[in-house]
Amino acid sequence: MKTITIDVLKDAANRLLFDLTEAEYQTLYEEFGILTAQMKAIGETGDLSKYEPMTFPFDCETSFLREDEPVKPLSREEALSNASNKLNGQIKLPKVVL
Amino acid sequence: MSYLDLPIRAIHEALVAKKTTPVELAKEAIARAKADKENAFETIEEEKALAFAASLGEPEADNLLWGIPYLAKDNFSTKGIETTASSNILNGYVPLFDATVITKLKERKAVLIGKTTLDELAMGGTGTTGHKGITYNPFDPKHERLIGGSSCGSAAAVASSIVPFALGSDTGDSVRKPASYAGLVGMKPTWGRISRYGLFPFAPSLDHVAYFTRNVDDSAIVLEALSGRDEHDSTSSTKPVENYESHVKDGIKGKRIAIIKDINDSITNADLMRSFNASVDALRKEGAIVEDVLFGEKMLQSLYPTYMVISCAEATSNNANLDGIKFGPYYDGKSYAEAMYNARTKGFSELIKRRFIIGSYCLMRENKEELFLAAQRNRAKIVERLNEILKDYDFVYVPAAPSVAPLIHQLSDKLSAEYLIADNHLCLGNFAGLPSITVPLCLQNGLPIGVNLMGRAFEESDLFAAAEVIEEITGLANLSVLNRKEGNL
Repeated sequence: MKTITIDVLKDAANRLLFDLTEAEYQTLYEEFGILTAQMKAIGETGDLSKYEPMTFPFDCETSFLREDEPVKPLSREEALSNASNKLNGQIKLPKVVL
Repeated sequence: MSYLDLPIRAIHEALVAKKTTPVELAKEAIARAKADKENAFETIEEEKALAFAASLGEPEADNLLWGIPYLAKDNFSTKGIETTASSNILNGYVPLFDATVITKLKERKAVLIGKTTLDELAMGGTGTTGHKGITYNPFDPKHERLIGGSSCGSAAAVASSIVPFALGSDTGDSVRKPASYAGLVGMKPTWGRISRYGLFPFAPSLDHVAYFTRNVDDSAIVLEALSGRDEHDSTSSTKPVENYESHVKDGIKGKRIAIIKDINDSITNADLMRSFNASVDALRKEGAIVEDVLFGEKMLQSLYPTYMVISCAEATSNNANLDGIKFGPYYDGKSYAEAMYNARTKGFSELIKRRFIIGSYCLMRENKEELFLAAQRNRAKIVERLNEILKDYDFVYVPAAPSVAPLIHQLSDKLSAEYLIADNHLCLGNFAGLPSITVPLCLQNGLPIGVNLMGRAFEESDLFAAAEVIEEITGLANLSVLNRKEGNL
């Protein structure tokens, strides 16, 4: 398992596209000490190799096909209504190619 | 005493008899909401609520929710109403559609009064981490105690008799734990029973729509209105919806109840256990067969870390769309990545960032097998054990929490059995997707504690019948801060 250091936590935060203050990283580092101790309990419940990873509580009957009925899509105005930064009917972002 | 303090059926009868009107009820609920001292509200929708109430026409005798005011946690999409999930990253976000549960309640002509606070993005169990600050417990006017979370505002509002019911969501215990601290009935039905379309996802393998009421009968009425297959949610069940209320008085004679002894052994509150044991004696007198069962202490101690690993990992991925570009406040940057980075740095609180990093760490290539997949395998083992118990028993019955609502700044030993087991066992119901209901058990120094019953998948009718018996035993139906009931168990 990857050793937890402040740098590992900073790398994880940056990959998630946010930052914390130095004091917050320190709090998180200390929290990991407790979490790691708690997580040990997962390995102490006995052999888990016969269990498949559980991704949903149980299988449910469903249908992945629907009737091919036309539906009204969002209008441009609606789609843009929650964007804070827009220009000429489009979301405005910083230039990708400088 | 006003109509708002009564059970839904009694309010309905008053509406049908024209002793009151939807507008009068909405006005009173709004007045109570405006007088709220617990910081329970994100928004109060006075104009929309009064207009909708005024549009309802003649009373519908066969529709128990006609004209009944209610509230929704602010992580349900509501068309035209700002919905932030109590997070700054969603400030100003106005959904373009209603969540299915909001649509269903609109069709039943229930009146949405406003949106309630939550722990930011529903990740938290204290009611202290939303962007509007701490939501307080109305049973503690000194504002020293938690209401619990994440559905804190809905719990505080129902306990304050602002509305007879309120929507919440429950990923680990986010309705059933605050219900314990607020003297309410908190119901989380079977996974798939209620559509989650329009509920902001936290950890979809564990997320449920859930809700608060002040008595079991109301809980049965609300479940029938919310349940059913929804083509917008492929995980919603096709099983027929029952008339749950018609089973509430079925009783408990001959039913088999398992008490998880290793959960009870982790509780140090002797007064709570005396009340709990008295309720067990009373259940036996009602004809139930109640027996102690051992779950396995090691497995119970692994519940909380298993929950943390799975929920944080799922949350990390589910909230990747919160970037300040399509919605939420925009913060400029030299590149689109920097703009997102700035929005997420400023928009998320420290707690949320910590949870995302925990999730990301568990998903790292070097850790995935040992943490994330091990947690998912362990979940399967836990669920196997729980379902084994429910082959022999109809219900599992345990205290919902080890104490009354804790003090806001109270520290707990996070490696103790009381914390790991007694304080965090309700996620069993989320792991297995089983219906689980909290009802008030007793009051200690004027503060409530609840008990929890869990049943088999899609057997909500039986669960309501058993919960109703507990409610009769405790005498705590319709508990609220206006209607405290001392001297019970």
